[in-house]
Amino acid sequence: MGLFKTKEDMLKVLTRAASKQVYTRVLLPKSLRAFSAGPAPLKMDFSEKVNTNEIKLKNPTKLKKMNICQSITNALDIALATNPNTFVYGEDVKFGGVFRCTVGLNEKYGTDRVFNTPLSEQGIIGFSVGLVAAGGVAIPEIQFGDYIFPAFDQFVNEVAKYRYRTNGLFNTGGICCRVAYGAVGHGGHYHSQTPEAHFMHTAGLTMVIPRNPIQAKGLLLASIRSPDPVIFFEPKILYRMSEDMVPEEDYEIPLRKAEVIKEGKDVTLLGYGASVRQLQMAAKMAEEKGIACEIIDLRTILPYDFETIEKSVNKTGRLLITHEAPITSGAAAEIAAKTIEKCFLHMKAPVKRVCGYDTPFPFVYEPFYLPNRVKIFDGIQELMAYQLELLLNQWLSLIHISEPTRPLYISYAVFCLKKKKNT
Amino acid sequence: TTEIYTRSIVGSVRCVQETGFPIFRTMDLEGNVSDSKYEILDKPTLIKLFDIMVTERESDRIALNMHRQNRITFYFSHLYEEAVGPAIGAAIKDEDKIVLQYREQGILLWRGFSIQEILHTVKGSNKDHAKGKALACHYSIPKIGVLPLSAPIGSKIGHGAGLGYAFRTQKEDKIAVTFMGEGAASQGDFHAGLNFAATLGSQTLFVCRNNCYAISTPIEDQYAGDGVAPRCIGYGMPAIKVDGCDPLAIAYATKHARQMIMERKGPVFMEVYGYRGGDHSTSDSAPLYRTKEVLAKLKPYLDAIGDPIIRLGKYLEKKGYLANYKEQMDKVGKAAVAECHKYAKEMDETPYPEYKTMFEDVYSYTPQNLQEQMEQLDAHIKKFPEFYPLSDFK
Repeated sequence: MGLFKTKEDMLKVLTRAASKQVYTRVLLPKSLRAFSAGPAPLKMDFSEKVNTNEIKLKNPTKLKKMNICQSITNALDIALATNPNTFVYGEDVKFGGVFRCTVGLNEKYGTDRVFNTPLSEQGIIGFSVGLVAAGGVAIPEIQFGDYIFPAFDQFVNEVAKYRYRTNGLFNTGGICCRVAYGAVGHGGHYHSQTPEAHFMHTAGLTMVIPRNPIQAKGLLLASIRSPDPVIFFEPKILYRMSEDMVPEEDYEIPLRKAEVIKEGKDVTLLGYGASVRQLQMAAKMAEEKGIACEIIDLRTILPYDFETIEKSVNKTGRLLITHEAPITSGAAAEIAAKTIEKCFLHMKAPVKRVCGYDTPFPFVYEPFYLPNRVKIFDGIQELMAYQLELLLNQWLSLIHISEPTRPLYISYAVFCLKKKKNT
Repeated sequence: TTEIYTRSIVGSVRCVQETGFPIFRTMDLEGNVSDSKYEILDKPTLIKLFDIMVTERESDRIALNMHRQNRITFYFSHLYEEAVGPAIGAAIKDEDKIVLQYREQGILLWRGFSIQEILHTVKGSNKDHAKGKALACHYSIPKIGVLPLSAPIGSKIGHGAGLGYAFRTQKEDKIAVTFMGEGAASQGDFHAGLNFAATLGSQTLFVCRNNCYAISTPIEDQYAGDGVAPRCIGYGMPAIKVDGCDPLAIAYATKHARQMIMERKGPVFMEVYGYRGGDHSTSDSAPLYRTKEVLAKLKPYLDAIGDPIIRLGKYLEKKGYLANYKEQMDKVGKAAVAECHKYAKEMDETPYPEYKTMFEDVYSYTPQNLQEQMEQLDAHIKKFPEFYPLSDFK
């Protein structure tokens, strides 16, 4: 309590910060802040209950409070216990991992099955291909998504093409590579990257990204047992932040299916991983303005479930996609193109992509770089306003106003309508 | 006297081929030099070496404390490895270029990079040369010949090979000193870099700091051979193992390695044996994997190499260059701490650069899409200024 003179002072200052919901650490003295932060999170409960439509549990009451890190450890424990031919390895895995996701596994299953590898991502994935050719299940770990690139050739030319080039005689389905990825607050360009777009271009790979512990455990077990190779990206900022009452038993969540987390009629919000929280907060902000948002968690990025997206966009007519990765040729670009192809006549506005900028991930500028709830909320408002301009455009074309002069009329009309709304 | 450490201490217990690589050292733990031919550094250089090593240790300590006070986000400490950087810096020429891994800050201090600049780089403030775009501790300093540092391990080994090749073909009297750890020697880039350097002929000095740990991975999990230097027999380049807590040995070996490089127009490899006294970085906690049993097993090795500052201090006392090395340590240490505190305050008060700087230097010009994105961000911040920490930025 060294900064404040009295306890009342401290409480007053902190409640003021919380109520204003301005950026975090605004009121601590400069000398105590290591890095600036963007918009503070809203006070919301992100914990969820098990979706019984998707997951059939034998003991639905046997739940335990876990964060993503612990649920991953639990999933690995179950995988190692149920299949004796399973291996978990990577850099620093033996002592529990730098993110503490493999704690206790080496003591329980021995160094032949849970072990450290030398420092070589290229080596780790190359080694995995050979390991699963003998019929085992390999769960290698890449410490940071930023360091996956030495293994890029192994993934793209070996893992992805093994089944294809042998006409199904061989496959690398036993590989489920776990990667800690995503922005973390002070990571800069080598601890914050989200490389899913680089791999989305490679047919043969599957990419899965969970948003909370219940999803993480189910998706990881499904990925480990999947007959296709999977890259499992874990949003590292949520490792400890995201907590849920997770079922203790062995359960799987189907891959290649997106999940509609919230239903709404006005606009579809699509995201995955840590961005889902930003979508949920932005939807809450939009609700206060009377906009009902539908939120979809993509979960499997490749091959992605377009059916769910199509159904939703045909209902709402508007789509906003968000991800931390840069906007050019990110995952959103592909989904946007496909949406316009399939749902053009149902759409009331173009697809809005709220993503990172086309720069390398910057170090101190992270509060400005990331697509946060405020940018998403702004995007939602932009989409909703588009309706008005479209209608005006159609009316003006009906009364034969020429194209170049239409924007003038539209902006004047919007101005008058907004003025009328304010008075 | 050159002493041979047994493989069971520093090599892997699974090593089957006795390579007979001795570890070169010139002075023992009490500062007694075995032969006067090893004393190639003069008094001012040695005093500077000692001062810089003490400065490094004290500024590391202050930086770690600052991290605990949440004033900086990230830092690497160099405990027990302070000798490597400055000793190599003393033995090479000023024109030689340096390719860092990340635990060689001493060589920056040797070449004149100040504590003030280090602190600003660590924070990423407006006075940082990279304007806060690079991750903390990612130095890139053209004025003292330091190439950009980057986190992916091993990726710079190939860079060193290329740089040395350019020096040779352009007939320059320069070498590229390329640092790595023993973990980086497992990367594919190590094989590629060394093979290229040896086959194509690069004026590169590869320095591998074998400090027994790569985050939590001990050397038994990293390789099965007799360390990293014997691999160079396969690549066809001369290699030597050096005691990393003996500054005179490092300087002597580096000087002769440089001569060898310029004579044979090819690379030389130096494996420097030390110990990573602290954590891997501020995001690591060594006691989790360096338990009492592990430390008991390492004790013979740690006792054999000792503390570089104390060894050099005793040598300087014996030579009469210093009256009392402990007093010098105190004096220089206090000066370093005072400098740290002074510039730490300045560092805290310096804001980050303007947020528009984030969009600069992606290309040599600003492309259309970035111009649009910059305008989008400007408009967005005008609408919602209260959500962004604008007061932290200029």
